[in-house]
Amino acid sequence: MSRARYLAKRLLMAIPVVWLGTSMTWYIIFMGPIDPATRLLSEGQVRNPAAYEAAQTQLGLNQPPLQHYVDWLSSLIVFDLGRTWLLYQGSSVNALIMDFLPRTLWLGFWSVLIAIFVGVPLGFYAGMRSNTVSDYVASMGGIVWRAMPNFWLGIMLLAVLGSSQAIFGVSWETLGPNLTSGISGNPDLSYLAGNPLAFFTNIDATLEAIKKVAPAAIVLGSASMGNEMRIGRTAVLEVKNQDYVELAKVKGVSDRALVYKHILRNALVPLVPIITSEAFLLIGGSVLVESVFGINGIGYLFFQAAIQGDLPLVGTLMYVFILMIVGINLIQDVLYTLIDPRVGLEGE
Amino acid sequence: MSVTTSRVADALTDGRTALWALVGLLLFLLEAGAFLNFVVGLTIDGILALPGVDAAGFLTTVESAVREIPTLLSRETIPNEGYYDGSGYEGTFLGLSPAIAWALRATLVYLYAFAAFGWGVWGYRIYRRNYRAADWTPRDDVFDRFRGHKWGIFGLVIVFMFVTMAVFAPALGPTTVDQNMRNSYGYETKYWDSDSGSVETILVGDANLDSLSQGNDQNIGPWTYDDYGRFHPFGTMQDGSDLFTFLVVGSRISLVIGVLSVALSASIAATLALTSAYYKGRVDLSMVLISDAVMAMPQLLLLIMLTTVLRETWINEVYSGGFLLALIFAFTGWTYMWRSIRGPALQISEREWIDAARSFGQTPITIMRKHMLPYVTGYLLIYGSMTLGGAIISIAGLSYLGLGVAPPTPEWGRAVNLGQDYVRTGSWHISLIPGILITLVVTGFNALGDGIRDAIDPQSDSAGGETAGAGGGA
Repeated sequence: MSRARYLAKRLLMAIPVVWLGTSMTWYIIFMGPIDPATRLLSEGQVRNPAAYEAAQTQLGLNQPPLQHYVDWLSSLIVFDLGRTWLLYQGSSVNALIMDFLPRTLWLGFWSVLIAIFVGVPLGFYAGMRSNTVSDYVASMGGIVWRAMPNFWLGIMLLAVLGSSQAIFGVSWETLGPNLTSGISGNPDLSYLAGNPLAFFTNIDATLEAIKKVAPAAIVLGSASMGNEMRIGRTAVLEVKNQDYVELAKVKGVSDRALVYKHILRNALVPLVPIITSEAFLLIGGSVLVESVFGINGIGYLFFQAAIQGDLPLVGTLMYVFILMIVGINLIQDVLYTLIDPRVGLEGE
Repeated sequence: MSVTTSRVADALTDGRTALWALVGLLLFLLEAGAFLNFVVGLTIDGILALPGVDAAGFLTTVESAVREIPTLLSRETIPNEGYYDGSGYEGTFLGLSPAIAWALRATLVYLYAFAAFGWGVWGYRIYRRNYRAADWTPRDDVFDRFRGHKWGIFGLVIVFMFVTMAVFAPALGPTTVDQNMRNSYGYETKYWDSDSGSVETILVGDANLDSLSQGNDQNIGPWTYDDYGRFHPFGTMQDGSDLFTFLVVGSRISLVIGVLSVALSASIAATLALTSAYYKGRVDLSMVLISDAVMAMPQLLLLIMLTTVLRETWINEVYSGGFLLALIFAFTGWTYMWRSIRGPALQISEREWIDAARSFGQTPITIMRKHMLPYVTGYLLIYGSMTLGGAIISIAGLSYLGLGVAPPTPEWGRAVNLGQDYVRTGSWHISLIPGILITLVVTGFNALGDGIRDAIDPQSDSAGGETAGAGGGA
């Protein structure tokens, strides 16, 4: 099977996955034990038949279920996401997502990047010096780091940073870019609006936004960091004992070239699927991390919608999450076929 | 029957086996009261659930009779709740200070648990050496390999200590949940009032109000006494109740939900993996699609959505919502386990003995159960252990958000939440200690999974279950 066909097959498979996931969401929310219409109304309004009727009509729940399902699904496909009920009452969901999503993406991007730049080198380092004290310290640290619950780690990190003046003698707020608006909260991304190049031109604002989101990103990436370290270590150990490394050594390749060209490069291959397959950890974890750090991201929006009873919004957001995860998985497939030419040739 | 009898007789005349049985009996007698209490309690609940049977009077007599049986490791035998009467401690074990009495009881509980464990291992070795027909089975190698795996042993010890904590929860806490949290105004406690120089009595609820941990001015830290002579190994919570008691009882619900959900999802995953490996083709493809679709919804978000939707159903009343949580976990978490055992199951389905069994005319179900399942149970153990750690993190994460386990029931994540406001003050212990415990327990489960994996399949270095132990990002 050629690579193009392999990719085409993956793309084709993604469609039923999105459809199935969205249908399950619809069933849970609209056919579940809770009547979404009553959840939207206050105590007094529930007893008012007119208000209840209006809510039902607006949700389309007075139609036959199949009709409602088709309507709901088709409006999702064309991204006609409707309006909210309780949360930010009556605002357009599209606008709301456009407002909240950038902060989550910003957080997710940096958490992936920080995790890679800390986890992978540490894992390679441990693998190159396997079974030494530094290997044990690094491996042990990675395992414990991974086992820490994100929400707790976030609270502790905030406490340490908040008292950094007393503990380290340096205040986190004034270290580097000045954080005038507190150590946690929303990163200010407004400068990027309509001008993505400002990321490079307005470097001060970029640094400030990064610093604001860095603690949250470290926490969110903690699980991935531990995994990447572990896989990186195993990969280096495996590659180190390959025949071609031996051959290169015999040929007299310098240590430097041996490590960078022959070992590290090949050890990168198994890391790609790990990095992307952790997308669901990032998206799932964003709920807790955004709650702890007070970031108004899309995970926080989902959680608020769930506890306040805006079930239609919950369903819509779930659809967005499904699209994101399936999309990331597709990107992973593309990357994988680029890096490892064997993929798709073995015949799945 | 006669063969078994003679074997039992043989065993008892053999010195070592008789000694082993005797030690077992002794260990059981020490805790017979607690065991009978548990059995009788369960029977009573069962009988009371039956309609039309009125035996309440008789049952209460039985229950109180059983309560009277002395138990070594109970609060009554080694009490730690006493008071100072000016010259010495009254009401504590041997007049020791409450801290020492409590520490003694906790140490004894753990000694007992480890002794019971050692007794089991001892019995297995006697069986293996003297009674088993075969000299060697492949499983022996697995056990021997595990014994040499230090990291796995470390995990086993941690997990065993956690399980002991959950099993002996009522005996471990310095006080009880009922007395200290649920019904604190229904109990009294005595204390030494140094101003008046006499022993006074106060309601536990009022005493709690004076033992709050809410920052620098008002704080009962770990390993201290409060003003009423009550000992707090981990300090008090923000409402003045004892943190250690809260955590010990909370370990129970975490363990029960974790084990239940992992067992359920393992059976779902095994059934589906065997089916898809046996039939392959379209069946396999459709299962890939379904599991992909479930995985496309991030587990934590799915958990939040389902707990919200199912919050008002009757099933949420069972075990403070823990049962519902276990069900939701099972139905959202099986995909990861299914993913991991599908590969091995597919490999096994290619073996010759499967073809042979088929040509014998065995039914697909028999083939799957007898000729395929034994080869994937090892993988189920590995991923089960790692998923359990992840489940504990997720449960804690949900209760941190205020979902899942209903509030009066102690849960570790809620302790983190309750102490969140005081982390930067003197009352840092409320949030810090439960988090450390979670980290430790999850590390233990992951290490145990690693150990089992290396024991079962020493060649495999697939870093399996990488994401299983992370609890969906909680």
